[in-house]
Amino acid sequence: MDLVESSALNRYVTRYVTGFTPLAVLSMLLIAAFIMMNAAAQNSALFGRMYSVLLLVNILGVVLLIALILLNLFHFVEQYRARVMGTRLTLRLLVMFIMLAVLPVSVVFFFSIQTLNRGIDNWFDVRIERALDDALLLGRTALDALKQDLVKNTQEMAVELETLPVKPKVGGLRSELTLLNALREQYNITELTLFTQDGKIIASVSEANFDPGTLVPDRPSDAVFIQARQGLTYANLDAIGKSGLRLRVVVPVRSRDVGAPMRVLQVLQALPPRYAKLGESVQSAFAEYEKLVYLRGPLKFGFTLTLSLIALLTLLIAVWAAIFSARRLAAPIRELAQATNAVAEGDYQKQIPVTSHDEIGILVESFNDMTRRIHRAQSQSKRSQQEAEIQRAYLETVMGRLSSGVLTFNQRLLLRTHNPAASQILGAELKSSGRKSLTSLTEHYPALSPFTEAVEQAAAAGQAEWQTQIQLAVNGRRRTLMLRGTSLPSWRGKRGGYVVVFDDITTLIQAQRDAAWGEVARRMAHEIKNPLTPIQLSAERIRHKYLRQVPEEERVALERATRTIIEQVEALKSMVNDFSEYARSAQMQSRPVDLNDLIRDVIELYKNERGLSSGGVVPLHRADDKPGKGKAPRAVATKLDLDADLPLIAADPGRLRQVLHNLLLNAREALTATTKPMISVSTRVLTENTQRFAELKIQDNGPGFPETQLVRLYEPYVTSKEKGTGLGLAIVKRIVEEHGGAIFAENLKHGGACVIVRLPIAGAVPVSAEKSPAPKPVHAEKNA
Amino acid sequence: MTQPRIRWRRIALAALALAWLGEAAADFKIADIQPKFTEQSLTFSGNLDLGLSPKVEEALAKGIPLEVVIDVRLYHQRRYLWDKKIASWTLRRRIQYHALSGQYLISEGEGEAETRESLLTQQEALKQLGSLSDLKLTLKEAPSDGDFSADIRVSLDIEALPTPLRPVAYTSFAWHLNSGWTSWKVAR
Repeated sequence: MDLVESSALNRYVTRYVTGFTPLAVLSMLLIAAFIMMNAAAQNSALFGRMYSVLLLVNILGVVLLIALILLNLFHFVEQYRARVMGTRLTLRLLVMFIMLAVLPVSVVFFFSIQTLNRGIDNWFDVRIERALDDALLLGRTALDALKQDLVKNTQEMAVELETLPVKPKVGGLRSELTLLNALREQYNITELTLFTQDGKIIASVSEANFDPGTLVPDRPSDAVFIQARQGLTYANLDAIGKSGLRLRVVVPVRSRDVGAPMRVLQVLQALPPRYAKLGESVQSAFAEYEKLVYLRGPLKFGFTLTLSLIALLTLLIAVWAAIFSARRLAAPIRELAQATNAVAEGDYQKQIPVTSHDEIGILVESFNDMTRRIHRAQSQSKRSQQEAEIQRAYLETVMGRLSSGVLTFNQRLLLRTHNPAASQILGAELKSSGRKSLTSLTEHYPALSPFTEAVEQAAAAGQAEWQTQIQLAVNGRRRTLMLRGTSLPSWRGKRGGYVVVFDDITTLIQAQRDAAWGEVARRMAHEIKNPLTPIQLSAERIRHKYLRQVPEEERVALERATRTIIEQVEALKSMVNDFSEYARSAQMQSRPVDLNDLIRDVIELYKNERGLSSGGVVPLHRADDKPGKGKAPRAVATKLDLDADLPLIAADPGRLRQVLHNLLLNAREALTATTKPMISVSTRVLTENTQRFAELKIQDNGPGFPETQLVRLYEPYVTSKEKGTGLGLAIVKRIVEEHGGAIFAENLKHGGACVIVRLPIAGAVPVSAEKSPAPKPVHAEKNA
Repeated sequence: MTQPRIRWRRIALAALALAWLGEAAADFKIADIQPKFTEQSLTFSGNLDLGLSPKVEEALAKGIPLEVVIDVRLYHQRRYLWDKKIASWTLRRRIQYHALSGQYLISEGEGEAETRESLLTQQEALKQLGSLSDLKLTLKEAPSDGDFSADIRVSLDIEALPTPLRPVAYTSFAWHLNSGWTSWKVAR
């Protein structure tokens, strides 16, 4: 948390410090300070006092500016090392800008310093200096002359004053004043003062308008008194502020009286205005020049300092401006580069804000346009991909629900697509096979060779449309397939593949056969049945009428002949009934039936119907029942495996019973030559393609169906038995189909036949439906 | 590794000390003054010893006016508390060479109150410049009982120098003439 805050603060500080505003403000302030300092250096009254402060402020400012720029550069170097996008370009621009800025400024600085120093040196001229010296000397000489005059006059006055008594009588002071006044007027002196030798004023006279500000006469310094006491004359020019220059001469006044103390006379003579003015002028000019000469070094130093600082400031501002503008120039390029990276990594929604309207702005706009287009194209392709996907799913669903098998091949006859119905019909696992060639299909499933041959032939013939019918033995079941082929449209000059649609028309053919046979049976029954009754009746009449009339020895023969006729006619009738039964259209009486109960009933019936069985047919018994010893032929063992959860099915119990009868009889008859005959009956619930079936399976361990008959097993008159009509299985099939079910027959691998009956479990059959007791078993048919 | 650095530091220190000593000979000093209350004012006797360094002397001789600032502060000494400042004064005295007369002009005060004096030699002029004999600082009220002390300091005012000279003066020891504060007991 703290880390985040501190880093945020750090970023804020960095942005603030390296930003535009602080440096711009600092630069402006420094420029202002330099202008003021420059004014100060030229002795401007306003900034003169602030010169030092300004200098300090400027130096600090420059140091701060350097620090800021270094910070900026440091920041930049960090970015450069971190290989931030755009820093290389920024660096190049930066170097270029700095070169552009630094070189001219350096040149200007160098020549300015030169010019400045030379200019300052040029102020000073030896001749001017000498002239000024001479002027001063001249002035001094002139003043000296005046001074000498004054000294001479003063000494004369002193001589005259010597006559004055040191200790005046009463009113003596007045005489001294009078004398002084007289002397002053005589010599035209500004001020005359007489002192005692220890500096006390004895008397003083002065011009009325002389130095009105001072009441007390000017007193010379102690040194002057000492000098006067030593008998020396002091004469000098006094500079007295605004009142200009004046001459001061101090001389000792010796007393004529012996032992009397010495007095001191001071004469102050204001210079004549003309002299004073000239003198002051010379003085000030000289002083100013001297000062300048003295200040030449410091002045140069000061100007150089100012100039250097200004040059430094300019350079720094230039460097800073270079950093700023390089960064500013490189910013959109950096953004562009980053955005390009993003696009390269797959982010097509990247948009860069357009900040300028120059070429870079146009570039940015083009980039944005490009990414927009890419994005649009990409989403479009994604959409069409989705559409294709949906289309494919749609086709797959349609193909999946088709009962016809569909296979497509490419031009090299490699399998491209297939539907589930194709796999089911062909009995081949096509899913995992990928792009298989027809040859490899044949290798895996040799039974499919008629199919592959048909396709190859059609492809070789180059027919656009073809149709053929083939026979396949799939999983031991004969199937008749109707194949229709079409070549697919070519694309880009390449030959298209082929699509083969095929249907399992086994059942259709079967149905056609069945219908034909039904018609035959109906006609036969009709045609045969009609003469049978007269034949039977005639035979009975013959028997009845002639049996007693014929002689005894022939009676037996007649009786046997007529009985045979009657019996055979009866048999014929029964056969004809079978035919008519087969031909008869269904009269279903459906109700909920428990298949298991029905099976148990029928099996039970067979166990008890010993008497019914005619020669060669054995009764059934449970698998655990031991067949009686010596009984010939032996009984057939039955094994029940019934699914207790089998729901009720909607069926006609009478007809189902007939089915069971027929199947069991068939099985029993097939087992006559078997040593350990066994019939197993099983039921179970089967779910196939959301459809539920009750499956009944009856197996025996007999010889099985002859291979040649497997296909046409259910056709009438197809039988392997010597005495069969071949109608049993045909009727079974008919009944099963009337119930909406299916029947399959196959030979088991380890010998024996297996018949499977599937009856649909209708959802309409309520579980609570009245479970009617199994109806009385219909008399078993013996038509096997 | 560290020895050369130490040696350099020593040399630098020695140079600094020498420079300081050299300047110290020509520095402002307050050797012996006697402040005294006379009625409602503070008077002094004694002189400020104003020694100029050769550079400053040269500048003076070349006509550069110098200004010395005399700061005086009067404290009432208290035993348990810090001393209480009663009053403070700042006096400015200027000295300038007058080429035509070859004299040194000393002035004090501003405008109408300005007093000027011209002296023949530099020595005399400096003595006059540092003379406190005529100094009479008036107090607002008569000093109460107790001990008083007068703190005094004299220094060369660099800010009063001509502008071009200021950077040089600030960066050179020769121009830093300052007595520092000295404290004197005020007699009654």
